Amino acid sequence: MPDEKKLAAEEYVVRMKKITKVYSNGAAANREVDFDLRKGEIHALMGENGAGKSTLMKMLFGLEQPTSGTIVVNGETLKLTSPSVAIAHGIGMVHQHFMLVPSLSVAENMVLGMVPQKSGMFIDRAKAIELTKEYSERFNLFVEPEAKVMDIPVGMKQKVEILKALVRGAKILIMDEPTAVLTSQETAELFVELKHLKAQGYTIVFISHKLNEIMEITDRLTILRGGRSMGVYNTCDVSKEEISRLMVGRDVVLEVQKGKAVPGRPVLRVRNLEYVNDWNKKMLDKISFDVREGEILGIAGVEGNGQKELIDMLFSFNTPDAGEATVNGVSILGCPQEKIRALGISLVPEDRMLNGIAAGASIEENVISDRASKKKFNRGPLFNMKAIHEEADRLIREYAVLCKSRSQHIGMLSGGNIQKVVVAREFSSSPVLILADQPTRGIDVGATEFIRKKLVELSRSGVAVLLVSADLNEVMELSDSLIVMHGGQIAAYFEDTSDLTDDIMGEYMLGLKQQSAEEIGRVCHD
Amino acid sequence: MTRKRQLRFTVIRSLVAILIALLVATVLIFISAEGKTFMDKLQATGEALKQLLLGPIFRFSKNAGLSFEAKRLLDIFAAMIPIIFTGLSVCVMFSANQFNLGAEGGIMLGAFVAAMVAIYLPLPAGIHPLVAVLLCGTAVSVVMLIPALLKAKLNVSEMVCSLMLNYIIMYVIKFLMNSFLADKSKGQIQSHRFLESANIPAMVNDPLFIGAKLTWGFPLALIAVLLCGLFMYRSRWGYSIRMIGINQEFARYSGMNVGKTIVLSQLIGGFLAGAGGGIEMLGRYETFSWNALPGYGWTGITIAILAGNNPYMVPLAAFFMAYLSKGCDLMATYARVPAQLINIIQGVIFLFFAADRFLSKYRQKLVVKSAEEELARAGALKED
Repeated sequence: MPDEKKLAAEEYVVRMKKITKVYSNGAAANREVDFDLRKGEIHALMGENGAGKSTLMKMLFGLEQPTSGTIVVNGETLKLTSPSVAIAHGIGMVHQHFMLVPSLSVAENMVLGMVPQKSGMFIDRAKAIELTKEYSERFNLFVEPEAKVMDIPVGMKQKVEILKALVRGAKILIMDEPTAVLTSQETAELFVELKHLKAQGYTIVFISHKLNEIMEITDRLTILRGGRSMGVYNTCDVSKEEISRLMVGRDVVLEVQKGKAVPGRPVLRVRNLEYVNDWNKKMLDKISFDVREGEILGIAGVEGNGQKELIDMLFSFNTPDAGEATVNGVSILGCPQEKIRALGISLVPEDRMLNGIAAGASIEENVISDRASKKKFNRGPLFNMKAIHEEADRLIREYAVLCKSRSQHIGMLSGGNIQKVVVAREFSSSPVLILADQPTRGIDVGATEFIRKKLVELSRSGVAVLLVSADLNEVMELSDSLIVMHGGQIAAYFEDTSDLTDDIMGEYMLGLKQQSAEEIGRVCHD
Repeated sequence: MTRKRQLRFTVIRSLVAILIALLVATVLIFISAEGKTFMDKLQATGEALKQLLLGPIFRFSKNAGLSFEAKRLLDIFAAMIPIIFTGLSVCVMFSANQFNLGAEGGIMLGAFVAAMVAIYLPLPAGIHPLVAVLLCGTAVSVVMLIPALLKAKLNVSEMVCSLMLNYIIMYVIKFLMNSFLADKSKGQIQSHRFLESANIPAMVNDPLFIGAKLTWGFPLALIAVLLCGLFMYRSRWGYSIRMIGINQEFARYSGMNVGKTIVLSQLIGGFLAGAGGGIEMLGRYETFSWNALPGYGWTGITIAILAGNNPYMVPLAAFFMAYLSKGCDLMATYARVPAQLINIIQGVIFLFFAADRFLSKYRQKLVVKSAEEELARAGALKED
């Protein structure tokens, strides 16, 4: 039930009224959304991916300008034209993807853009370190001022981000999915810190779609669906089920029905893969595993522990320093992608906008990119347009891509529909091995469910699937068996995922525990 | 945004860019116009603008007023031939995101090779120009291998490489002409006469239009437009070229051979420029006497940008450029305004076409309108 209590205007630190935002690609991300914040509360902003949470907060932080509507901060109607204006009014943002310079130290990152100086021209490092320590102690956020950002764990990077905002005088902190990259231990730690901040009178916006966390830490919540506000509630007044219904408009079946896997012979064999990156960091350290016909092998792990590099090697975007990888006995390392695809390897790439699609081309042109030179689609030197149209229409239909026509620019579609186009192409090329790298990142629940179902369907028909996902729920639910990567090594192998818990996984993901070589060796089915 | 609105935006944006360029031109004409009083200058400006805008296809006379002049239109068509070819050449290369500026040197080399074939390789009448044009296209393709392979293999900037190549081509041709090939009996550096059989025959050569001559090169250019359009939009190679141009990472991931396609786009670009040079040379000249880069390649870049790299739009853009160039010539002759003004007009148009955010506010308005309509429609559907 909506919060009916009327409060005096001065108790609100932020009031966003009737905010509408239409992007230049025509997508309406927010429609007449009302959003307000009381001083000293932790306020959850909830909604599916694509519901417009990030857009709304980007407008509060001055990264985007609303098409219409007003923003009132501390009783003053403002035009937040840039983040520096927002910061000047005490609004800070901790982004999901950290905005830090990896090669600089924590203290140097802290003072970026406001560097303390010595005799007018030198950076006063000692002062930067002192400042970092002072804030670190005051807010109970422990960081190592002199460590380089690239060497510190994700949890500490996040603390640096929070401190960065506080040093700049933020009283209102926007946290964009802060727990998405954290293990459950780190999350618990973060919550203690946030409560501490709240006690000191700071206001926090907590963007998330993890229900447990919302229930645990927030005072009130605003729910967005399809760009509209579904109301403001006191967290203690609503149940998880109600929130979930408000978020998606129906009861979500989050569990994917899948029968037991009947693995066949190994399709992908990886042995002793090693790779040292340009900054001399060992990203892959003697990685060995097999993926068998008809099984989904999941790779869990905090991002940046070698998963990306592993996929890059397997799809030949990069070559390892040592080791081998074969698909059905044929070596795949360093092959051109043409050959990789000819061998029946498909990739749902991590970043669909970077290499999954050509945003300026049509849906049709995107969906045939791997098969355009096939005989079926050509007649002499020219395309067989009829066959191409048929193929595009068929895939749009089968994969339920919501669009006006096959000739619509793919960049105009929503994230979920773009991903469906990528998946339609990758799944329909009769692959023997699918590499699915974050297949449902940043897309709506409907599309997520659809893609997961298709993935399970394909694996049950005998395709080998390697699934990499930062979403712990996803890997644990979809995978038949699972490996955990930490620091470029395989930290654990679980043959059966049914009795795994977040906590067990967390310990391996953080490197607190490590299985023995024999236990891990079982993932090679020699 | 709906297709109709997208089209409307493109048309309006182009017109506004051209209008601004003409306004800038007007100011400059006024400054350079002759006349002592303000009114005199204004009148001279009016006269110059009349020549610029209407002169290319109309004739002015005291008693009859404005009359359509077919000869001048044919002249414009003739002037379109080389720049259609360079425009297509640039379209293909730019589509692959290859900023190869070699069309300029390409057209000169093509003309030179055509001249050599026309002088030293006797062949029967029908076949001679055909062989000449194919040979000069091929020759330029081969030369374009230099920037193309350097780009594909060593990631050398094709822009710098092809730009420098233009001058290498020019000076090598000048050297060959000066040292070995010039007709020593003439007072200036020019080649021997082409064999009669090498001429590209005239399509229109009516004594009615004295001096007006349009060769079969013109329909050939239009056929090239058609073939180029089919290649770019209806063949797997053109498709690969376009996809690489839009997102090279995507093309690589999709299994296209990026290196090969980059080279291919420049080979085809080279062939088109070379063929254009050959057709121009054999259609209009009887000896080879170019001693500097002709400028058609640079115009080709403007045309490709005006056409948005779409081959089918190239004839339209080429017509516009030829018309403008003719207008500037007339203005220089009859109104004593420097003909170099065309470079400024070109430059301003170029600037606004290339400026991504030009009129972006207007575009955003159209986008919002479309989005609102769509939402209203979706809402109405739900209520049904």
